[in-house]
Amino acid sequence: MRRWLWPSVALALVIAYPLLFSTPFQQRLGALVLLYAIAASAWNIVGGYAGQVSVGHVVFFGCGAYAAMGAYSHFALSPLVGIPIGIVVSVAIAAVVGVPTLRLSGHYFSMATIAVAELVRLIVTNTDYLGAGVGLSGPTVPRNLFDLSFISALPYYYLFLAILVTTLGITWWMTNSRMGFYLRAIRDSERAARSLGAPASRTKLYAFMLSAGLTSVAGALYAMMFGFVDPESGLGILISVKMLIMAALGGAGLLFGPLVGAAILVPLEEISNNVLGGKGAGLTFVLYGAIIVLIARFQPGGILTPIMRLWSRRGKAPEIPVATGASHAP
Amino acid sequence: MKFKHIIGLLGAAAISVGLAGHASAQQTIKIGAVFPLSGNAASAGNHAKAAIETAVEIINNAHPELGNFPLAKDAGLAGLGGAKVEVVYADNQGSPATGQNQTLRLITEEKVVALTGAYQSGITLTASAIAEKYGIPFVNGESVAANLTERGFKWFFRVTPVASDFAKIYVDFLKDMKAGGAKIDTVALVHDNTEYGTSVASVVTSVFKDSGLATPLDVAYAANATDVQSQVLQLKEKKPDVVIMVTYTSDAILYSKTMQALDYKPPMIIADDSGYSDPSFIKAVGKISQGVFNRSSWSVGPKGSPTALIAEMYKKNSGDEMDDTAARQMQGFFVLCEAINRAGSTDPAKIQAALKATDLKPDQLMIGYKGVKFDDKGQNVLAAGVIIQLQDGENYVAVWPKGSAEKPPVMPYKGW
Repeated sequence: MRRWLWPSVALALVIAYPLLFSTPFQQRLGALVLLYAIAASAWNIVGGYAGQVSVGHVVFFGCGAYAAMGAYSHFALSPLVGIPIGIVVSVAIAAVVGVPTLRLSGHYFSMATIAVAELVRLIVTNTDYLGAGVGLSGPTVPRNLFDLSFISALPYYYLFLAILVTTLGITWWMTNSRMGFYLRAIRDSERAARSLGAPASRTKLYAFMLSAGLTSVAGALYAMMFGFVDPESGLGILISVKMLIMAALGGAGLLFGPLVGAAILVPLEEISNNVLGGKGAGLTFVLYGAIIVLIARFQPGGILTPIMRLWSRRGKAPEIPVATGASHAP
Repeated sequence: MKFKHIIGLLGAAAISVGLAGHASAQQTIKIGAVFPLSGNAASAGNHAKAAIETAVEIINNAHPELGNFPLAKDAGLAGLGGAKVEVVYADNQGSPATGQNQTLRLITEEKVVALTGAYQSGITLTASAIAEKYGIPFVNGESVAANLTERGFKWFFRVTPVASDFAKIYVDFLKDMKAGGAKIDTVALVHDNTEYGTSVASVVTSVFKDSGLATPLDVAYAANATDVQSQVLQLKEKKPDVVIMVTYTSDAILYSKTMQALDYKPPMIIADDSGYSDPSFIKAVGKISQGVFNRSSWSVGPKGSPTALIAEMYKKNSGDEMDDTAARQMQGFFVLCEAINRAGSTDPAKIQAALKATDLKPDQLMIGYKGVKFDDKGQNVLAAGVIIQLQDGENYVAVWPKGSAEKPPVMPYKGW
C-alpha cells in the first residue's frame, strides 16, 4: 500500500493547488505549467522514448491552435470543434513528413523537422484564409460555455489537468505495451533492434503520429486560453525548443520528466519576467538561460534521474528508464 | 518526493509573486504599460518606455512652458488632488501569451487602474482581451490592425489613426495640391504582397474610389525583392501623375536606386510611412529621393514650441530623436491620464466614462490629430496626420496641412 502513498499525496496536492494559491496570477501560472507539461509530454513520446529529437513539433502545436481558432472565426463554431480537426490534420502531416524524415538519424532528423516547421510557418504567413501575418482570434466575449473563454484560470487548470493525466496515461500504457519495448530498443540501438526483428520504421512512425496528435491538443488548448494565434506565436521555432528543453530538463524518456521540467521552467520564466522584465534590460532571458546552463552542466540526464535512482535503490520501483534525452539535444 | 518538490517550487514562486505585489503608496495612480522590452521589437518597446517616462515627467512636475497642454501646468493630477502618476512597466517579450499573462499580473497583482500598450497588434489584441474581461480601461496609441476595434469591446480605446485615416489624408492632400495646379489625374499604387502592403493598398483604392479620384493603377510586387526594374519600367510607360509607395525599408531603397538607374522621375511620390521613414532609408538613398512626400502624425514644430520642448525631453530620456511611433504612444498615454484626471477617480468604470466623453482639441495635443474623440467602437474619429517632405534629402519637414506646415510643399519630385 505504501507504494501508492506518495503518488496519491502528490495528486491531491496538484488538485488542491489552485485552492491553496488562489490569486488569479498563481492560478494562471498553475494552468500554464500544466499546458506546457502536456506539450512537453507529447514531445517526450517521440523525443524521449523513441530518441528522435524533433525540433519541428510546433507544426502540430500550430495545427491545433489554428484549427481551434479557425473553427471559431470561419464557422462561428466552438473552438472545441477544432480539437479533432487539429488531431486529424497533424496526424496526417506526421505520417507524410515522418515517412521520409524518420529514416534520417540523429541531427539530420532534427534539421529536417526544423525545415518542415519553417516551411509551414512561411506558407501560413502567406495564406489569407489562415489570417496571414495578422493571425486568427477566438471568442473574447464568450457566447456560451463551449467557447471556453473564462475570466478565471480555474476552469483551464482542471481541464488541462484532466488532459495531462490522459496524456500521461496514454504514455504509460504505451511504454508498457509491445510498442514501448520496441521504442526503447530502437533508442538504444536501432541496428540491434532491427536485427532482432523489431519493426523500427513503423514503430517510430506510430510514435511520431501519436506524439503529433497529442501536441495538437496542447496547441488547441493554448489558443483557447489566449484567444489568439499568429504565425509567430503558433508556429515559431521557440515553441518547439521550449518543449524540448522542458522534457530534457526534467528527464526525457521519463514519464514525469516533462511535467517536472515545466514546473521548473514556466514559473522561472514568468517570475523572472515579473521581477526583471519591466526594467527593460532583457535580464529575464539571461537568468533563464543561466539556470538552464547550470542544470545541463550538473544534471544533464534531467532533474528527475537522480531522484529515480534513489527511489529504485530503496527497491520501490522495479524499472528505471535510462534518460538519454539531454545527450540527444542539439 | 517528486511532486513535493514541484509544490515546493510552485509555493516559493507564488510567495515571491505575492511579495512583489504589495508596494503601493498613497496618492499615486498606478497605470500599467505592456511593451516589448526584449525580443525582436525591443528597440521599439524601449523607445515607448522612454516616451512614457517623458510623459510621466511632464504630468508629475509643473511645466507651465507647455501652455495649453493638459496636465502640464500643475504637478500631478489636479482632478485627484495632485496625485502622482506611477507607471508599472511589463515586458511582453514579443509574445501574445506573455503579453496577456503580464497584463493579468498588472491588473490583479499590481492593481493598476488602467493600461496602455502593447505595440504589436497581435499582443494588443490578447492583452486588451484580458483587460476587457476584468473591466479595466485599455488605451492604445500605436497599433493599427483594423480588427482591434471591431470586437465589440467596451474598455478598449485607440487613439492612433488607421489605414483608412491615412488614405483620407492622401485624398485631402491631393485635392489641395490639385487646387494649387498640380495634375493628379492618374495614380499608381506600388505595394508589396505582405499583409501590410495588401491591406493598405486595398483601403487606399476603395477610399480613392469613394472620393471621386482616379482608381489607382495597382503595381504589386513580392516583398524583399532583388529586382524591381519591371515595376519601374511599367510606371515609366504608364506615366502616372502620382505614385504612392507602400513598402518596407529594403524595397524602398531598391526602388529609389532603380528609379535613378532607369532615369525615371514621377511628378509626385507619396510614401506610406514605414520604409521611407526609416533613418536607414534616408542615410542610404535620401540624397537621390529628394522631394518624396511621406505621412506622419508627428512633427517637431518650431523651436520653443511645446512639441519641440517635448521632443527635447524625450531625446534626453531615450538618446534618440522622437519618431512617429513613440509620439503616438506618448499621445495615447496623455489621453488616458487626461481622462483619469477628468474622472477624478481611480474607479475603472468612471475612467471608462471619462474616456468615452473625451473631447480634446488640436492645441491640447502633442501630435497632428484634429482632436481626440472616440466612437462607439473606441476608435478616435479625429485621428489624422500631416504630410511631410524630404526636401533636402536629410530631414523631413511638415508641408501639409497649412496649419502645421513648416515649409510649403515643393513640386515636382526632384530625385537626385
